[in-house]
Order: sequence, then structure tokens, then C-alpha cells
Amino acid sequence: MRILIVEDEPDLLSSLAQALREEGYAVDTANDGEDGFYKAENYEYDAVVLDVMLPKMDGWEVLVRLRKIKKTPVLMLTARDQSRDRVRGLDGGADDYVVKPFDLPEVFARLRALIRRSANKTSNVIEIGDVKIDTAARNVSRAGKLMDLTPREYALVQFLALHRGEVVTRTQLYEHLFDENDDTFSNLLDVHVSNVRKKLGTDFIATRRGHGYCIE
Amino acid sequence: MKIFKSIKWRLQIWYGLILLGVLVALEITAYQLERNELFDRVDSELQRRFSPIADALRPHHPGFGHPPFDHPPQDQMPGDFPPPNDSPPGEFHLPPQAAALFSSDDPKKFYFRIFRDGNDIASSTNAPSPPTRTTIITEPGHLNRPPNLGPTTQTLEPPRRETTHILPSGEIIIIGCSITSEMDQLKTTTMVLTVAGVIILFFGLAGGWWISSRAIRPVENISATAVKISAGDLSQRINTAETESELGQLAAVLNSTFTRLEAAFAQQKQFASDAAHELRTPVSVILTQTQTALNRERNAGEYKQTVEACQRAAQRMRRLITALLELARLDAGQEQMKRLRFDFSKTVGDCVELIRPLADDRGVKVSTELSQIEIEGDSERLGLVVTNLLNNAVQYNHDGGEVKVRTKLENGMAVLAVSDTGQGIPAEDLPRVFERFYRADKSRSSGNAGLGLAISKALVAAHGGSIDVVSEENVGTTFTVRLPATA
Repeated sequence: MRILIVEDEPDLLSSLAQALREEGYAVDTANDGEDGFYKAENYEYDAVVLDVMLPKMDGWEVLVRLRKIKKTPVLMLTARDQSRDRVRGLDGGADDYVVKPFDLPEVFARLRALIRRSANKTSNVIEIGDVKIDTAARNVSRAGKLMDLTPREYALVQFLALHRGEVVTRTQLYEHLFDENDDTFSNLLDVHVSNVRKKLGTDFIATRRGHGYCIE
Repeated sequence: MKIFKSIKWRLQIWYGLILLGVLVALEITAYQLERNELFDRVDSELQRRFSPIADALRPHHPGFGHPPFDHPPQDQMPGDFPPPNDSPPGEFHLPPQAAALFSSDDPKKFYFRIFRDGNDIASSTNAPSPPTRTTIITEPGHLNRPPNLGPTTQTLEPPRRETTHILPSGEIIIIGCSITSEMDQLKTTTMVLTVAGVIILFFGLAGGWWISSRAIRPVENISATAVKISAGDLSQRINTAETESELGQLAAVLNSTFTRLEAAFAQQKQFASDAAHELRTPVSVILTQTQTALNRERNAGEYKQTVEACQRAAQRMRRLITALLELARLDAGQEQMKRLRFDFSKTVGDCVELIRPLADDRGVKVSTELSQIEIEGDSERLGLVVTNLLNNAVQYNHDGGEVKVRTKLENGMAVLAVSDTGQGIPAEDLPRVFERFYRADKSRSSGNAGLGLAISKALVAAHGGSIDVVSEENVGTTFTVRLPATA
């Protein structure tokens, strides 16, 4: 899962990015509205965390422009908790909002819910054969036994599971699992797929030669 | 009691009492007039019946040389009367014509009774059986009174009217009649008057209520509005359209007070909300930094970073709180400004030297053109204003830009002008730059809360001066401070 954070307060931006990376997300950052809009426009994010008060282009403007071209779920960070601000955000196309000062667990939960909803899932648990993926606890169990997956491997499993039945291309996987600082020209992806197959069964991820991967 | 505290009720009660008093007086008068008229009529009837009796007595009484009455009845013949002199009571006879006046068929039942020397010598058949007035009338005192004593008339029970005549010869003639019909008529009159009075009182009170309601309505209007306002709805206003009287002026004054109250409340609310808003970001930083750090074991370097970030957030909050307190003190007018005479240009020069390292960092050239001006005030606080203006001029300048600082004496005012060659302030933001928490660039990465210019303005105002701004986008901005110079 790849997330973009647009926030102008550097200390807040760095700690949010760090916390989300530790949660297993690939995280990109932008510290003004123009940069944020450019990235949101050009990359496929699973969610955007967008501050309202931003230099160069404020959060409302980024939201309006983004909504003209993309459906990426947006979580607004607002310092104003008056209902007219919340209404404005939701009407403007935001999917959810968090009022500053916020608790990190709440931000995490809201992001999970946003991503789940955008994949049309209502439950936190996805079951595929004897494999059970709990997106809230971020773990995978097989036949009732908890499997030990690295965050990257978990992200791969979750992304394929949320797009169950679809063929997911390598480009898509690179876009959603690696952030702007990762080297996308490596064969890291093949290593992760192979490791997941070892842990969850060789048939768990099918390879569509020339297209990508798929969970049936 | 609550009722007596209501103006409307008190008005109504007073009005009702006065109306009642007037009505009662009028009705008593009307009743008396009616009664007098009725009794006068009865009395004249009684008087008419006196002469025939007196005439019947007179010719036979010795020592009666002249007629006692001016108008002896014309239709009576003296020869018709039997000789009653010294005869017993039964022997006194009225002539038939006179007797007809005391007929039992007459609904008024006229009667007479004649006393002589305390003895009942004659009476008509209608006369009430107990000789009511005998005791009084036969008292020797009565008899010895001068004979020309006029008749006395009084009303007795059962309802009748009696006239008592004392003749010079000593006879007492009582003539009376029943006044039941008169009393009935008076009763009817009383009833009519009472009913009319009650009706008038009712309509009077209703009218009074209507008038006092109308008079009081603006007051109720004002009070209802005031209640809504005290309940928290400050947008309420008194409808002055229908209150044109003295109360209208009151309503207008109250309305303007409410308007100012509402504005003050809105400002206060906005200020509190802005202050809270400014605190949100540093608190968010501290929360996310610490929550992230505590999520798992970190090495010393990571902890240090977290602590440093928290320190920056705390310093930002401290700056904000200091600024808020400064504003609050200025607002409350508690701030004691020192009143010392000093050279304003020297203060400005010192501030320029303070800011120069920052300007050099950004390659901004600061030029000064200062002339000595003595002013009176707090040099430290005014230095704060100058530093703030210089700081803005450097911060919002282009790299390698220019800042010009000039002081001069103009019309008795010390004038400081700080010009920069920066990005300028958009025209729509210009009127608002002195507002609290207002920032033209909308971001808070600078760490400024947007209180600097608000504080500067308040400080300059506390010195009796003014501050204004002229700006052109992408050309530059000039802030001008004017302070009263000492002569």
C-alpha cells in the first residue's frame, strides 16, 4: 500500500511518514500543495493524507483538482473542527478527515478503512482458502497458524488479496509497494513473491506470464 | 406578589379603581337626584292634602282670627263642615271632597291622623294602626314650640312618607302615604344603574387593558428580545418599526448595544478559536513524534530527534502563548507603558543592527536614513515593533533584495518607514494584515502565528500613534509608523 502525505510542518511530516512506514506502507511525502498535487496526479496512491493549510496551493484546491482526474481516497488533516470545515471537506471530495491534534492509532484505522472501502471490502478479514488475512492486525494466518511475513511481504499479499481475481501487473505492484526512495529497477518483487509462495503455498500466487500476478 | 410588580397590572388596577370611584360617585348622584325628585312629588301630594284638613279644623276653633295658610282651597265651602269644636275624635268629619283624597282605593293609600293635646282625635281608615309619632309629638316641648314651625317630613318603615304639621292652635296633623311604588321604582333604578355601571366598568377595563397592552407591547418586545439574547442568540434585534415613541429611542440604543456586543463576542470567539487552532499543530507534532517513538525500541539518535522535534514544538507554543498574553494585557489596558524621553532613531538603529545577521544570511541589503527624533514612551516595546517590521521585511523579501529604513520628523510626528523589495501583499489581504492570526500566505511553516503585526499595532496605539501599510505585489511593501514627537 502506497500513501502520499502532504503536510508543511516538517516535524509532523517526518513523524507521520516514519510511523506509516513502520506500519508497512510505502510512503511518499510533499511539503506544499503544488508538489502534493503533482505527485498525487502522477503516481497511483492507495490513499492521500492531505493537510488543509498548505503553502502555494491549499488543501481544498489540491482536493478539487485531484477529484477532476482521480478517485484516490483522501484523508484530510484539519486544524479546524467546526462542522462547516468538515462539511466543506467532505463535500469537496474528501473521503474522511482527522482533526488536529490527532492520535496516530486513529489515523491508521481511518487509513485502513479508506483503503478497504476503496477496494469494496467491508470486513477487515479476507479469507482465501485456508489463508486468512487480517488487515486490521496486519497479519496472515494459514490453517489457523500465524505466519511470519515481513511488512513488504504482507503488503504484497494484502494488495493481491484486495484485488482478488484480477491480474495485477508488476508495474502496479511496484507503484503500490515501493515508495519514491526505493529502487524500482531491482528484482526485489520476484524475491518477495517467491518468499510468500514458500510460506503460504506455491499455488497461493499465480503467475500470468507477460501480464503479472494474481490470487484466484 | 408578581402581579403587583407588573407595570401593566398596576396600570390596570389604578385605572380600574379610578373608574370605579367615578362610576360610584356618578351613580350615587343619579340615584339621589331620582330619589329627591320622586319624594318631592310625593311631598307635594302630601302638601296638597294638608289644606283641606287644616281648613276643616279651623272655622270651629276659637282664637283663630286669620287663616293660617295663604291658599285655602277654593272648592271648599265652610258651611259643609260639621262643628267639631270640643267634640270627641269620632265627631271630626272631612268634607267628602277632601275625604276622597284619602280613599282606600288609591294605590298610594294616603292617610292622616290628627292629635290634639296628645290625643288622637281623628284618623283616616288607611292610617297605620300604631300611632307611631304620638309619643314624640305630644311631648310638652314640641307643643310649646313657636306655632309657625314648618312641617317636617320623613321616610318611615314600612315604606311610607309622613309630613307632620303643628298648627298654631296645638293640633298636630300627620299626613302620610305609602311609597312602595316609589321604592320599587328606586330599586329598579338602582338595578339599572348597577348593571349599567358593571357594563361600563367592564368595557372600561377591557379598553384600559387594550390601551395598556399597546403601551406595554414595546417593552414586552424589548424584554422578549433581551431574553433571547441572554439565552445566547446574539443575532436577535428589537423590531423598532412599531416602537416610535420614547421606547423607540430606547430600542434603538439597545439594538446598537447588541450589535456591538455581538461583534465583540464574535471577535472573542474567533480569537479563541484561532488561538486553539494555532496550538493544534505543535500539539500534533508532539503527539505524533512521541507516539511514533514509543511504538518500538529506538536507538539514542532517534530518541534525540524526537526530543528535538518536541522541543521545537514547545518553543513554538511558548512564542504563541507569550504573544497571546501580550495581546491580552494590551487589550485589558493593564500594560503600563513607560513614559521616558528617548531618541527613536537610536532605537531603530539598534534594531537594524540586531536584524542584520539574518538579512546577511538571505543576502538582503539593509540601508538606513535616520534623523534624530525625541519621543516619549517605552523604548523597549517600540523596539519590539521595529524588530517585528524589520523581521517581516527581511523574511518576505527576495534573496538579495533590499530593505530601506527611514525616520523623519513630519508635522510633529516621528515617522518610521520600513520598505522592502519583496513579494508584496495581495490587495485583498492588505486591509487584514493587522488582524490577529491573519497570514497572507496561509501556511504556518514559518512558525509565525500571525500575531506580530497585531501586537505592533496595539503597542503603537498604546503610544498614541498609528501604523499603516502600502504594498504592491512583486514590487514591495512599506510599513509606516507615526508616533507623537516631543516638542
